[in-house]
Amino acid sequence: MTLPHFPPLAASFFGLLAIASLLLAFVMLGSRWLRDYMYAFGLQSWLIALISAGIGHYEQVPELYLVALLTVLFRGLLLPYLILRILRRLHADRELHEILQPASALVLGAAGVVLALAVAYRIADALGDPGSPVIILALTVMLSMKLIGFLMLSIRHEAISQILGLMILENGIFLGSQILIPGMPLLIELVILFDLLVAVASFGVLARYLMEHAGTTSSLQLRKLVG
Amino acid sequence: MSLRDILLQIAQVAAVLLLSPLLQGFIHRYEERVQRARGPSLIQPYRDLWKLFHKELVIPEGASAIHFLAPVVAFTAMLIVPILIPVLTNFPLPLSNMGDILGGGLILTLGGFFITLAGLDSGSAYGGIGSSRSVMITILAEPTLILVLVGITLLANSMLPFVVNHLLVGDLSVYWSPAHVFLVCAFFILLLVETDRMPIHSSTHIEVYMIEEARILEYSGPLLALVRWASAMKQFLLYTIFCNVLLLPWGLSIQGTVLGTLGAAVAVLGKLALIACLVILVETAQSRLRFYRYQEPLAASFLLAALAVIANQIR
Amino acid sequence: MSLTLAAIVLIAPLVAVVGCLALRSPRAAEMLNLAASLVTAGAALPLPFLASPAQTGMDGYLLVDRLGAWVVLCAALVYVTASIYAISYMRLLDEAPRLPRFYALFAGFAWTTLTAPLMNDAGVYWIAVELTTLVSTFLVGFERAAESVEAAWKYIILVSAGLSLALLGTVLFYWAGTVALGPHYQMTWQALGQVASHLNPTLVTLAFLLVLVGYGTKVGLAPMHTWLPDAHSEGPAPVSALLSGALLNAAMIGIVRYLSIAEQAGAGSVPRVALIALGALSLLVAALFIVRQRGVKRLMAYSSVEHMGVIALGFGFGGPLGVGGALYHMLNHALNKSLMFFGAGSMMRAYGTKDMTEIRGVGRHFPIAGALWLAGAVAITGAPPFGLFLSELAILRAGITSNAWAAGLMLVLLVVIFAGFLNHFRVMYFDDALAQAPKQKAVDGWSLTAMALCLVPLLVLGLWWPAAFSSLFHEVYATLSRGMP
Repeated sequence: MTLPHFPPLAASFFGLLAIASLLLAFVMLGSRWLRDYMYAFGLQSWLIALISAGIGHYEQVPELYLVALLTVLFRGLLLPYLILRILRRLHADRELHEILQPASALVLGAAGVVLALAVAYRIADALGDPGSPVIILALTVMLSMKLIGFLMLSIRHEAISQILGLMILENGIFLGSQILIPGMPLLIELVILFDLLVAVASFGVLARYLMEHAGTTSSLQLRKLVG
Repeated sequence: MSLRDILLQIAQVAAVLLLSPLLQGFIHRYEERVQRARGPSLIQPYRDLWKLFHKELVIPEGASAIHFLAPVVAFTAMLIVPILIPVLTNFPLPLSNMGDILGGGLILTLGGFFITLAGLDSGSAYGGIGSSRSVMITILAEPTLILVLVGITLLANSMLPFVVNHLLVGDLSVYWSPAHVFLVCAFFILLLVETDRMPIHSSTHIEVYMIEEARILEYSGPLLALVRWASAMKQFLLYTIFCNVLLLPWGLSIQGTVLGTLGAAVAVLGKLALIACLVILVETAQSRLRFYRYQEPLAASFLLAALAVIANQIR
Repeated sequence: MSLTLAAIVLIAPLVAVVGCLALRSPRAAEMLNLAASLVTAGAALPLPFLASPAQTGMDGYLLVDRLGAWVVLCAALVYVTASIYAISYMRLLDEAPRLPRFYALFAGFAWTTLTAPLMNDAGVYWIAVELTTLVSTFLVGFERAAESVEAAWKYIILVSAGLSLALLGTVLFYWAGTVALGPHYQMTWQALGQVASHLNPTLVTLAFLLVLVGYGTKVGLAPMHTWLPDAHSEGPAPVSALLSGALLNAAMIGIVRYLSIAEQAGAGSVPRVALIALGALSLLVAALFIVRQRGVKRLMAYSSVEHMGVIALGFGFGGPLGVGGALYHMLNHALNKSLMFFGAGSMMRAYGTKDMTEIRGVGRHFPIAGALWLAGAVAITGAPPFGLFLSELAILRAGITSNAWAAGLMLVLLVVIFAGFLNHFRVMYFDDALAQAPKQKAVDGWSLTAMALCLVPLLVLGLWWPAAFSSLFHEVYATLSRGMP
């Protein structure tokens, strides 16, 4: 297994950035105001771009600088801007009816992180010598951001929150893949970035249709199709 | 067990006893100052205590022995804790092996528990409300506190606060590690909760929705002085643990000389003033929340403590 | 030769997309789409028989092998029949100005379902499947009613979440592959298959389970199937046919390819057992919902869930009979489901309702279309002499020896579905409670042609399992069991 071997300073730098991203995911989980989610998401994308640039520097992979730049542009600036526009058009400010209180959601998220840690340990055991703790950290953060993303999809009913939950899912994968496999083909990474953009554009259009025809963007009201 | 050590131990307890009203005065004065009022003088709590000790003792009709017992127990508990934690010196003194971090937390809680009992014992409506509310918050705060203490223990591989202090002073990479940062944040939130400064109520007597002050409404005279002093000491102790063990572990006397001890006392006051300013800022900057949102800061603190434990495992 | 055919298959729908976007007249758009679909079907028909040995093109991004070509064949057949049917159906909708855009989206959707099975790089395959989701969402929500938009929203959120799990699985497979192939490599199916025995079994198990759940959401396996009834019932009938017949197969192929890699990596029996469990669960859920169903298109959608469960069971049982049966089932199901959706769409437009309790006397009012539809209903529940009977029998035979419990459960549930499904049709055909006459113009020459085009091959394939198919299936089974998809 070619595991990336980082010098200790770099390892702790990446570790700090990864944990900060996880913390921002929890901020997204625990807040009610849609604008807060979006800022936290933008900041998280900037941190991930920093990780990409750092890995590009340490592993001597210059394409990662391009990936970092595109991440900042698309995920860090353009996506929040698009979502802000959707927010303004939909006149949605915050979650009005909570399915689960933010406090309980935070505790559930913490349980998810513990589960992710257990899985990461299992994988590290199976791989033999993991090389450096940043590998386990990357695996844990990746899996726990997945779990937090799914938690957000389940307990939030506003359309925008569900979109942001999907974005957290993809952010988690991106974060993990940057640290674990710095050599992933450039084509895949670029297309994932663009694909995210197209997805958000589609979501925007759909959310507009939802508002026009169903009268609401809250999924609690979407109950016509049953059985 | 030399004479110097015994004197240092007594000096630590005396420092906590004598300096805690000063901290209380500092917080009150600058809280008012931030809100553009003049604020009471810094030594007003001393004057209050003097006045209360000279006042008549009035006891409610339904009070039992707990009414007399609780202030004494709380005061004594607050006197025991300074023996266990680093207040002025950074080396363990005799008798500091009586308890570790968990023991210190237990004794602090014991004092609070007796005051809660006293609130129920008085039979008044406000006392009951105060006790029930404070217990409701304690149900969430105590497990979080234990998790934070577990995190501190795992960080230093030891349960003695002195070892933690040495580790953080000596190894800068541990000081800046994510585990430590999360523990500091989690403990700060708990600090706000335990000293009754959560943004869900106002910490004066005037409002109906006070939490901890309501428990002691039926007290008067010297008993009230003891209770007030005990709560001021609890605040001082929590701030001291926060500073000397976690956040600012520098500035403690290393050799135990008189000059060093005095310098440490001044340094402690300086550090506590800094934390007090931070607390005042946090409390006044935030608008009051609905009562049931008390879960949110506590859930955030629990989360941070859990993340600290996890980050420590991966360190 | 196969590469040129594959190129034609891929280029023709693109031409239709560009053309329909530029045109204004709905008639011209219809005809352009139909022409493109005929060209595609013509190129796709001989493709599976010419695709041996597997050829790669376009810098290694295109892979034309037997398995992919077979799925492309199914998709192309559905595309052709759906295009024929769409001509009659979309005219009923009264949306003439938007029709060119519909046909552009339709051809685009067909293009994405044709592209996905031919992709060699696993990452590009994921991108192609994600593209199908994005394009088909707008098709599902085409009618702009409250229910359609709700269905489109549920579809895109659920399937995108599922596909992100599949992306994680893909990334983990890539990571597992770095042990033998170094940190930079192009993750083609062949490359992964060649180093499969060196991959770490634990990591591969986790990655396969993620891929199973992720692509299983797209395939419609329970319990990830919840988007399927909504999306298939709210979209226009030709779109539903394409969704059921083409898209579900395209997602299944990813699971099958990863399964063969996981087996070679020594992941034990966990992948197969998981696949069989999901297949059996899909059958169970489908049976329960079919028995108690009110919407006619939702009935067909749950039948899709059932058949995808059968295909999953077929691939899970493995062996030449299992794989062969599953592949044969793909073709028959594609044809049959299109027929059912065409009939359901026409009946919905004729009677003006989605509720089966209000559709009565179909045989009396629509003799030919009704007969075709009834034949399709008998076929889809697995009765002889139609094709689905043969494929289900093959899968059962594969399962009896290896997994008797699952095979027994499958048999029982198939019988339950047979009874429940045909009960609805009994009510619709032979229970003359309603007096209101339906609109006769809902069924015209185009729709009848489409339905007949679906039924005739079904009948033929049910009476005769061609030897050419047998050898093709056997070759696919051989490559899959070698781990070289």
